[in-house]
Amino acid sequence: MADVSTAATLTIDMIHAQQAGLKAIGAGLAVGLTGVGTGVAEMGIGAAAVGAIAENKDFFGLGLLFTVIPETIVIFGLVISLLLMFS
Amino acid sequence: MTEVRSGLAPYIYVCTRMRVRKAKLLPKEEYLRMLQMTLPEITRFIEETEYKKEIDENAQFFEGIDLFEIGLSWNLAKEYQKILEITPGSLKQFTKAYLRRWDIQNVLNILRGKLQGMKAGKIKEVLIPAGGLDRLMLDRLISEDSPERVIEALKKTRMYPVLQKEFQGAIEKGSFSKVENELYKSMYAEILSDAEGGIKGGNDFISFLRLDIDIINIKNLFRIRADGFEEDVRDMMIPGGSFTPDELQTLNSLPTHDEFIDTLRGKLNRHPILEAQEQLRNIHSIREAESELTRIQLSEMERMSKMHPFSIHPILVYLEKKKYEVFNLRALARGKESGLSPERIREFLVI
Repeated sequence: MADVSTAATLTIDMIHAQQAGLKAIGAGLAVGLTGVGTGVAEMGIGAAAVGAIAENKDFFGLGLLFTVIPETIVIFGLVISLLLMFS
Repeated sequence: MTEVRSGLAPYIYVCTRMRVRKAKLLPKEEYLRMLQMTLPEITRFIEETEYKKEIDENAQFFEGIDLFEIGLSWNLAKEYQKILEITPGSLKQFTKAYLRRWDIQNVLNILRGKLQGMKAGKIKEVLIPAGGLDRLMLDRLISEDSPERVIEALKKTRMYPVLQKEFQGAIEKGSFSKVENELYKSMYAEILSDAEGGIKGGNDFISFLRLDIDIINIKNLFRIRADGFEEDVRDMMIPGGSFTPDELQTLNSLPTHDEFIDTLRGKLNRHPILEAQEQLRNIHSIREAESELTRIQLSEMERMSKMHPFSIHPILVYLEKKKYEVFNLRALARGKESGLSPERIREFLVI
């Protein structure tokens, strides 16, 4: 009987560890993939913004603002990962 | 940045720069305002724009209308060379191909000047070093003693075979029109075959070339018909557009203007420039027809640049619009100097 209870305890610990691990992987994926998405989105906007600023310095503020708009995507990812890690 | 390695970003960068530059070009209202100004007022106005630097640079060598024209030409040449510097990968190749027409124009101007015994300084005034032949090369060509030596100096260029073949005939005839025609024909044939060679974005460039060839051929047909020229025109037309030389010959042989326009419309079925053909029906003056055709070409290029925002089209639209801005300003200045009325000058403007 003692052997059985030890095995059961080990299994529950393992399951908890596995859950924590999966949560961490999920959190990592949430930040990582949204980071890639943000990068792809910012590539085009950034290139256009730099082009416009090169021709007319007045576009600096607007260009910067538009370039960072896709940052919201990675912030969503970060929020999801924080929720996963600490909920 | 000779090779595109980072995907779409360099295309977006350059195309955006071209759009911003295009937005800086003089709008129609400014031309209308300038039409009411005197020549000194126009010069002062222009000095407050993008042309200031070139006009200041040349102020110690030229004055009056010459200064104005040289300033405009230098600005155009500098602008084109600058664009060539910033365009990436295949776009650079296409831009270079587009700019080859300036080489033809410059070489022909040098040859004409040499044959008429003009001084080097005078020939230099009319050159616009916007193409592949830079200022140094053009200076070298101008310093040659005879037209034959000018042609020899061009041995390494793609123009050489045509110049060598046609030049003697041109001297005998006393006219460069055939040489000019042959040079343009060979240029378009070479550019088309280069673009068809599978370069990335080649199809966009080909669609521009076809439009360009169509517009040139139709403009030539308008001119030929106005002159009442009834001989074979096949040799004068540039192949590669929507029409074959035979179709263009058929168009030229039509007796009335209405028939000509109707057949043109029939042939250009489903072609985007079809809509504008109706306006051409009521135009009988060559100059007006040419301006209208140029406007059609520009609006069609604008449409293509919106359909393909990160291709060669935005660059070509800017290059063409910049060229017409310089032409318009030159026409304005020359017109004012000759004392023409604003209405008359306006006919020469492409706005």
